Amino acid sequence: MRIAAGVDVGSTQTKAVVMTDNGGREILARALVDTGANVRKAADNAFQAVCQAAGVHAPEVGFVVGTGYGRYNISFGNAQMTEISCHARGAHFVCPATRTVIDMGGQDSKAISLGKDGQVLDFVMNDKCAAGTGRFLANAAEVMGISLDEVGPLSLRATRSVKIATVCTVFVESDILSYLAQGKKAEDILGGVHLAIAKRTLSLARRVPIEPAITLTGGVARNSGMVHALEEVLGTQLQISPDAQFMGAIGAAVFALEKMDQSFEFSTWRPEHASGSGH
Amino acid sequence: MVEVKRSEYRGSIHQRQKDLMLKWYERLNEAAETGVPPTASLMISGNCVELLEGFGAVPIYPEVNALQLAIRHQSLDPILAAEELGYAPDNCAYVKADIGCYLKGITPTGGKLPKPDLVLCNFVGCNTYVKWFEHTAELTGSKLYVLDVPFLREDEPSRADMDYVVRQLKEVVALLEQISGRKFDYDRFVEAVRCSAQVEELWSQIKHLARRTPSPFDAYFDAITLMGPLYVYRGTPEGVDFFRAALEEMQAKVDAGEGLYDQEKYRLVIEGPPPYPYFRTFRDMFAKWKATTVASTYSTVGGLWEFGARHDPDHPFESVALHMLAHNVTNRNYLQRYEQIRRYLEEWNADGLIIHFVKSCRLFSAGQGDMRDYVTKTLGIPTLYIESDLEDPRYFAEAQTRNRIDAFFESLEHSKLGAHAHA
Repeated sequence: MRIAAGVDVGSTQTKAVVMTDNGGREILARALVDTGANVRKAADNAFQAVCQAAGVHAPEVGFVVGTGYGRYNISFGNAQMTEISCHARGAHFVCPATRTVIDMGGQDSKAISLGKDGQVLDFVMNDKCAAGTGRFLANAAEVMGISLDEVGPLSLRATRSVKIATVCTVFVESDILSYLAQGKKAEDILGGVHLAIAKRTLSLARRVPIEPAITLTGGVARNSGMVHALEEVLGTQLQISPDAQFMGAIGAAVFALEKMDQSFEFSTWRPEHASGSGH
Repeated sequence: MVEVKRSEYRGSIHQRQKDLMLKWYERLNEAAETGVPPTASLMISGNCVELLEGFGAVPIYPEVNALQLAIRHQSLDPILAAEELGYAPDNCAYVKADIGCYLKGITPTGGKLPKPDLVLCNFVGCNTYVKWFEHTAELTGSKLYVLDVPFLREDEPSRADMDYVVRQLKEVVALLEQISGRKFDYDRFVEAVRCSAQVEELWSQIKHLARRTPSPFDAYFDAITLMGPLYVYRGTPEGVDFFRAALEEMQAKVDAGEGLYDQEKYRLVIEGPPPYPYFRTFRDMFAKWKATTVASTYSTVGGLWEFGARHDPDHPFESVALHMLAHNVTNRNYLQRYEQIRRYLEEWNADGLIIHFVKSCRLFSAGQGDMRDYVTKTLGIPTLYIESDLEDPRYFAEAQTRNRIDAFFESLEHSKLGAHAHA
């Protein structure tokens, strides 16, 4: 039985997935830890946790692919790939009909156009600005004194969403404070915040061909208000997997299995890409 | 951390380039100390350096000074000095670095830069130039002449545009005679135009060598090395010697089948100037993937010679005017730039286009989103769009830039391998 893992070290959270290929590829376990300041430790913890959850010993994992911003800090990784490739491959694994991935993470949002085999045809990312990312949402939640888990469901109760003019993650706070001072309801403000992010994401996604099926990945996919707002501006339904947050790690694990199958041989596997030796 | 592959071409011409540029700075230092030779500030785009040769005058290129500072990681201090004076964060960072240098007395080599005898604003394409040189003239107390070059509105300039520019060139001659006290040496000017035509022919041949697989040099990073002498020495026999040696060196590499790497894996076209404060880092991001740039629009800011344009010693003033009006990338419209890029992609046989958007240069960068659409959707060629700045180190996010470049090459690689693996 071949066992491989993917570790996605994101700016906010680190995700790890163990997969097996026993006639068919299957996810054995997932793990999630806060990244915090020590990226290397977060990757180690996530990997140990996922091995434990899968009931496998670390040395049994034949190949580990790291992805996310902290990928080069994964001491045990055999190879690294960008999260763009990994999200695409993960989304293709979970929903093979995927032709567009919209990924909304803690500080990045991206739109990826996929071929039928899950290969990246084109991608665009937000640049030098956290507008349209999870951070925008987190700032809005904080200034309103509402937990991040609550903002989505609350926004769904909006009846007269306010207009959030700014796309700036910092200046949105003063917009919100001003609406609060005017006595606007929290749900209407949050409705406006979600819509502002959705519109920003739409303008990003339009730069690649938006073709169905569209799969939403990243931590923000857990937010029901964001899904609703995005579906409204896109005018179509999104594919949402319970594994949305793990998509990068799943894609990394799929690549790791493909490496073990030797069905793919990238130059990205060159030793200089790996900072540590494998198990 | 990630290891990088520092594989590149380091020929004898790289050292010769350094020597020539150092000599240029020495002459400027001499001018600062003795007042001789006369000097004039000029813009790179479609410059008229040949005219200065008629006076034995030396050009000062504020853009070259600015990029030299940036490449030496010294651009932030002068930029901050200009911002303290009131320049906005969005102003052209070249302008701020240059103004800051005047304010703080900074030069790239540590020597002196002269007060220019003439601040000659050869306004070609970039309207920021006008304000920049007005400020330079005010700071230095030098005489300013704005040489107004109309934007190229059709494929070729009109007779009226040509006459308009020629008349101004002759006014500059009269003005320089008055300022420098030297008589304009027409024969020397014609000789400079002749040298320029030779340099342009050699440069064009060099650029066409990049059509070979593997390309013997990088037509972005190595071309930038050659661009200094191209602008400073174009109208001189030294320039002709330098480019002849460069062509011979690269031809020898072609004959030996040598490229930049053991195997050239990707061929790119690059649009836009580089992030000079991170020049080395940026180059390594491509070297890691064994990618070679085979053509670049930035290397045609000074002139578009690989498509046949040449100065003409039989019509010296007219050919200088034509060069300023039509034969440089900045004075041409976006559709013409699309066409230039299309030809590079097809005729130089490239795998993809990299667009580097320069945050503080809205004029040159505006419209690059549409360009990306044209290349990806109409031509069907993979294109990567990245943002930073040519001079201001604060706009360069290394992890983000590396991530996008790695993802771009991964997608190129997957599309090559994917068909095979999933067949």
